[in-house]
Amino acid sequence: MEVLAGLTTPIVFGILLGGLYTLIALGLSLVFGVMKVINVAHGDLVIFGSYLAFAAMTMLGIDPILSLVMGMPLLFVIGFGVQRFLLNRAFAVSLDAALLVCFGLSIIFQNFCQIIWTPFSRSLKPPYALESFSVGVVNIPLVYLLDLVTALVVMLLLREFLRRTYLGKAINAASQDTKAALLMGINTGRVYAFAFAIAMAFAAIAGVFLGLTYPFTPTSGVAFLIIAFGVVIVGGLGSMLGTLIGGMVFGLAQTLGGYFLGAVAQMFVAYILVFVILAVRPQGIFGR
Amino acid sequence: MRVTIPGLRGGLIPFAAVVVVLAVLPVLGMPREWLLYLFLFFIYLAMANMWNLLAGYSGLICLCPAAFVGVAGYTVAIGTWVGLPFYLGIIAGAIAAVAFALLISFPVFRLRGIYFAIGTLVLPEVLKAWFLLWRPVGGVMVGRGAGYAVKGVQGVSLTEWYWVALVIGIASIFLMRIILSSKLGLGLAAIRDNDDTAASSGIDVFRLKLYSFVIAAFIMGMAGAIFYSYGGYIEPVGAFSIRWLLIALLATVIGGEGIKEGPIIGTAIVVILHFLLARYTGISLLIQGALLIIIMLLVPQGIVGYIQKTRAYRLLSKLASGR
Amino acid sequence: MAQETLLKVSNIDVFHGSFQALWDVSLVVKRGEIVALIGANASGKSTLLNTISGLLHPAKGSIEFEGKNISVLDPFQIVTIGISQIPEGRRVFPTMTVLDNLIIGSYNRKARAKKEQNLKMVYELFPILKERKNQLAKTLSGGEQQMLALGRGLMSDPKLLLLDEMSLGLAPIVLNDLYKALKEIRERGITILFVEQNVRRSLKEADRAYIMEVGRVVLSGDVAELREEEEVKKAYFGV
Repeated sequence: MEVLAGLTTPIVFGILLGGLYTLIALGLSLVFGVMKVINVAHGDLVIFGSYLAFAAMTMLGIDPILSLVMGMPLLFVIGFGVQRFLLNRAFAVSLDAALLVCFGLSIIFQNFCQIIWTPFSRSLKPPYALESFSVGVVNIPLVYLLDLVTALVVMLLLREFLRRTYLGKAINAASQDTKAALLMGINTGRVYAFAFAIAMAFAAIAGVFLGLTYPFTPTSGVAFLIIAFGVVIVGGLGSMLGTLIGGMVFGLAQTLGGYFLGAVAQMFVAYILVFVILAVRPQGIFGR
Repeated sequence: MRVTIPGLRGGLIPFAAVVVVLAVLPVLGMPREWLLYLFLFFIYLAMANMWNLLAGYSGLICLCPAAFVGVAGYTVAIGTWVGLPFYLGIIAGAIAAVAFALLISFPVFRLRGIYFAIGTLVLPEVLKAWFLLWRPVGGVMVGRGAGYAVKGVQGVSLTEWYWVALVIGIASIFLMRIILSSKLGLGLAAIRDNDDTAASSGIDVFRLKLYSFVIAAFIMGMAGAIFYSYGGYIEPVGAFSIRWLLIALLATVIGGEGIKEGPIIGTAIVVILHFLLARYTGISLLIQGALLIIIMLLVPQGIVGYIQKTRAYRLLSKLASGR
Repeated sequence: MAQETLLKVSNIDVFHGSFQALWDVSLVVKRGEIVALIGANASGKSTLLNTISGLLHPAKGSIEFEGKNISVLDPFQIVTIGISQIPEGRRVFPTMTVLDNLIIGSYNRKARAKKEQNLKMVYELFPILKERKNQLAKTLSGGEQQMLALGRGLMSDPKLLLLDEMSLGLAPIVLNDLYKALKEIRERGITILFVEQNVRRSLKEADRAYIMEVGRVVLSGDVAELREEEEVKKAYFGV
């Protein structure tokens, strides 16, 4: 009974953190699904989003969540440009070339953050970041709850977008069969650019909530890339529910790993899990 | 007995002359800083040659050179703490890297293409997390991290390390040539042309790729072990840093992936870049990242590949062969 | 029947990398015709369709549609000017609903305006698609998927329909319905160029036919004339 009571907190925290990981993974999943390339710069772009919010907060005094009004369009435009002018050309060379271009972007964004904001650890701490409330025996920080709620809202919006709009349907179609999409009159280059841009806007959202939840440094991106990739494989492509469950699996792996093995082992457990899933079922557990 | 080095026929004498000149440079009083950059050149050359073997010839986008470097470096360092002389430690380090490569080959070789790349990307991060926690020998360090000094290397001069690096750099060039004209090289060429056809014609694709992977682990591990033995200190964040990948990758891509001579030119350019930008670490990496993208988009075949395609080069090689 | 030339392919060479797939191929399709493109595997039929669709570009020669050169256009531009290809293997979007598959067909700006009208036509041609409109495409049978692929192509409001290996893996009885539908589609003013391996069937359904062999057009003419030659061709195609 004692153990169970002690487990409640890591389980609740794990599920809520799952929301954050889902948020981070959504953009990666969208790009992977449509273009079949892992954007290895995704983690760094999320962290870039965290720093943008940090800059808005410290320099202009704008609330991190409100700063998304600027952060999302900015990353959207960057994403559109990156796809249109860099990745589209790399795809013409090979898929490997696209992967390496993403790697170059990762290095660029990481070091850009390092130069502008120094290597020191930062965090987003508006007044509400310290608030928490109690449910039974569990004391839940407000931002953890925001992580999950935001993830659900963003997923719902993405789902409606993909279902209801021509562009959304085209993105969906291109991810299922590029050649058929081309033959349907879809300008896949343009659709890719929009998909990448949307993924980057999601990275901006994920960055803000990551910064509210955890401290971050310019090199934090890799860790979150790996977890997000794990979420994508657990979730499979094209399954939103799968992505949410994947996020929770990693949230729980981390909190339970921390509970049983100590806080320092948290990330280690998550990495090993990615590796095990990759080795056992690279095609994913959910999805098609 | 006559030993012929494949791919060097006729070029062996000038090649030997260059090696001899390089070997006597320290004796001729080359400045210490230059020597250091040449030391780095040879270490990086070995890395780049092996990355070229994997990406350019074996179709393996391997994102974990840092894992081999770090495992080997830690083997040397920890070895010297339990009484192993560092020169044996360097060998042990390379063997440890091979052991690690074999161990992880079980899961990662089930992965193809982009999944293989990501699978290998995870490895240095896992190892970094592990070595930040694990302290097998010696007392608990103050603060974070499991940094180790390499014991017993104080008496070795830079000149001697330079010669060691020269050996591994040159060895990696020879190794590449030998591999490419061996059965392994021919098999890899068949796989590169077409994975499925090669498999159906009786070539064991898995085994050939594994051979490349293990050979690369050995040489990269040894290069890393030499690097950290020279430096005298190893810690997880540096040892498992993505920079090792960037060096090997950038040198290969700049020179030309899948071209034997590519890494030599590429590594030279990378080292010159490091030299020029030594004082601006952050900007240096930023520029390297940008350079990677520019090369990938504008000259995906690399500088050597580009030159080989030019008319002047073709004319020259025609003249040279038809003299 | 109208005799105005709709599509004119003149002396094109097409390469896959360094491999030449088409050699000096010429072909004409007139408005309102049903034309068959016949040939064995790897004879270049699909390559020709893909070149017309803009997925490939000819190294030599020209492709004219309604008198305009289209050989440099991108696939999405080709669809907009009124050429729609129904690819081999149907290639419906498996995890989208039947209705969404059809709507995606009307993606080009010109077709969007006529979406309702074209949807009505597709439902008239294939009532089964209306019944199944909310099902996922992957749950349909092979024949139904081919109808969906046809319907999806029609949603782009084409003047010319390119059909690649419609009969692949379908029972003859299903095929009869599909060929009947083709005739109805032609009645609605849409010209059809279809690729087929089955010589006898093609010569029965088309007005004119082109026969291809290893990247070249070797025979062409009215199906009646070609049928006379069929005896000769029997050995060739193993009909």
